[in-house]
Amino acid sequence: MRNRLGRACIVTVGLMVAAISAGGQSRPYRAPRTADGKPDFNGIWQALNEAHWDLEAHAAAPSPVLELGAAHAAAGGLSLIDGGTIPYTPAALKKKQENYANRLTLDPEIKCYLPGVPRANYMPYPFQIMQGPKYIMMIYTFAGAVRTIYMDEHKEAPADSWMGWSNGHWEGETLVVDTAGFNDQSWFDRAGNFHSDALHVVERYTAASPGHLLYEATIEDPNVFTRPWKISMPLYRRMEKNAQLMEFRCVEFVEELIYGHLRKKPGQ
Amino acid sequence: MNHRILVLASALIGWSAIPLAGQARPKPYTAPRTPDGQPDLQGFWTNATYTPLERPKNVGKEFYTLEEAREIMKKAAVDEAEQTEPGTIPDVHYDFTQFGLDRSQGAMALNLRTSLIVDPPEGRLPPLSADGARRAAERTAARKSRGGPHDAVQNEPLGSRCILMDRNGPPMLGGAYNNTYQIMQAPGYVMILVEMLHDARIIPLDGRPQLPSNVRQWTGSSRGRWDGQTLVIETTNLTDKFAFMGASENMRLTERFTRLDEETLRYQFTVEDPSTWTRPWSAEVPWKKDKGPIFEHACHEGNYGLYNTLAGARAEEKRAAEEAAKKKPQK
Amino acid sequence: MRTRRAVAGLGIALLLAAAPAMAHHAFSAEFDISKPFKVRGMLTKWEMINPHSWFHLDVKDESGEVVAWMIEGGSPNQLIKNGVTKNTLAIGTELVIEGYQAKDGTNKGVGRNLLLADGRRLFLYSRETEK
Repeated sequence: MRNRLGRACIVTVGLMVAAISAGGQSRPYRAPRTADGKPDFNGIWQALNEAHWDLEAHAAAPSPVLELGAAHAAAGGLSLIDGGTIPYTPAALKKKQENYANRLTLDPEIKCYLPGVPRANYMPYPFQIMQGPKYIMMIYTFAGAVRTIYMDEHKEAPADSWMGWSNGHWEGETLVVDTAGFNDQSWFDRAGNFHSDALHVVERYTAASPGHLLYEATIEDPNVFTRPWKISMPLYRRMEKNAQLMEFRCVEFVEELIYGHLRKKPGQ
Repeated sequence: MNHRILVLASALIGWSAIPLAGQARPKPYTAPRTPDGQPDLQGFWTNATYTPLERPKNVGKEFYTLEEAREIMKKAAVDEAEQTEPGTIPDVHYDFTQFGLDRSQGAMALNLRTSLIVDPPEGRLPPLSADGARRAAERTAARKSRGGPHDAVQNEPLGSRCILMDRNGPPMLGGAYNNTYQIMQAPGYVMILVEMLHDARIIPLDGRPQLPSNVRQWTGSSRGRWDGQTLVIETTNLTDKFAFMGASENMRLTERFTRLDEETLRYQFTVEDPSTWTRPWSAEVPWKKDKGPIFEHACHEGNYGLYNTLAGARAEEKRAAEEAAKKKPQK
Repeated sequence: MRTRRAVAGLGIALLLAAAPAMAHHAFSAEFDISKPFKVRGMLTKWEMINPHSWFHLDVKDESGEVVAWMIEGGSPNQLIKNGVTKNTLAIGTELVIEGYQAKDGTNKGVGRNLLLADGRRLFLYSRETEK
């Protein structure tokens, strides 16, 4: 086109196309604010994917428990990981494979042990975020697990724990949570993906719409992985009226499994 | 041992003795507000106390004098720090004081009451109803029929099993140690994090109904509302597995929190359960500001104690059986 | 082995007595009153778990063999509030521990008295020693 109007049209159309291909938004979503001016993440959230079975891409697989049939078969899923697979060292990969083969006896989820991080965020149950200027609490359905995110006073973990010690800060729209001080007991999923007590996780939570957050976690553990690796997934808001967390005091459900062999035999 | 008495005594003098109901209050305290207008109860608190739930039989009044209360606390601190006799049951325990766990080494609210129970006015539990007595007898019989306390994990106390402790309740009562709570408020919610068992009670304030009556939970279903300066929490939907002081699953609990000053909360609760007691009863406990953090309470995950207890009982039985077999005459 | 008394159920704590269903486990069921022990060893790990921590020691027995012991102690929570961390007690620290052995006969026990090699009490926690 020879005239300016024509060029302006092309430029405008070009910009519109660019905007549409960037997800149909011309600027990122801005969450409503809390009283202290931060993006408001208060609410009940839940992941909606197959990460709890296996973070890596995997086909559907049978349950190790015959009687549970299809009800406990692993659903197939795509990878949640940048680059697709977890970069294990050769020795660690062997351990992961042993974990998988023995998952019925080894998976800490089965014994109602605290799920660790980031597994807690993609268990197939809701969790609640309660947000304040000094603390952000993340309260999970599974085993009633709790994480305290320290927002103002950042300290090192005084001791190792299952859920780690979390220090958080805001970067614009994003909540950044830096967690260390883990023990080596939790897994990342039901497929035996694991870590050592050198685990270090940096998470980023960003509101993407009124109904979901974008969640990323960078996982680092020099004892197990050759380099840091990253997962990402949406976390969806539970929209039902009166949504709430229900009690999941699973210790009672697993006592027989863990201590049944120590029962007094009749006639003793 | 003397330094501990000095520490406790100086702490008592230092505390502003905010007396509870029944004594003149200097001037009414109004708590600051959270951004969404709730009276601010936030922070770390402890309900550690030496005051018993029920008034001791030899005490006939509702309140001690300040001097009497100080004497009792001093004596209690001394008792906590006292030497145990080697080879006695109390000696088979780690030393609380070595870990700073005895109550005299932590924050504690001053309480002039002779019992936590304030109603009935005698400071003791009301009589059991006919149903309550019957159920208590049934429970005792059921316990006996299950065998010895270490025959199976299900025979052990709920606390040993890391399922529920008196700190959780509800109602929430203090124990010998680890009596810390964290209260946090966000729009429409109050959260009470109980240190024991990392129990986060999430109380909605939006007037939603309780859970349906067929849904029973260990800690029930709780709904909250503000009544002026007081947070009122109503709890129903309990199970009969919990049985607070012998209660049934029909127990209805009302808890009330009022901030009395910077350092003190008043925690009151009323228990209604006609199928257990002839009338409702109420108690009152002062909570004192405490310091954090609350460190993860991975009770079940670290429960070597339960394993050791059961394994130990089986080992002892095996030993006893072997001894008995040795003594049998040869045929 | 004169040492300080734990509180549970003794006179003052009527709350606990009133609600026996809630009591935490009886130590005398886990550990044997007739099996007192005294060991000297090097700390290999302090499991700072709530409500009971566990001290892992490498102990040389009579024959010179190194034997692993694990000994129960109190909740670290109050210590943590007062600034104790996992770095406070260095791995390799020599500890002398008196206590009672587990009923199942394994090298486990409850630590009635935890002392450093020079005889000082570990963590004798009080507002005075906080300085």
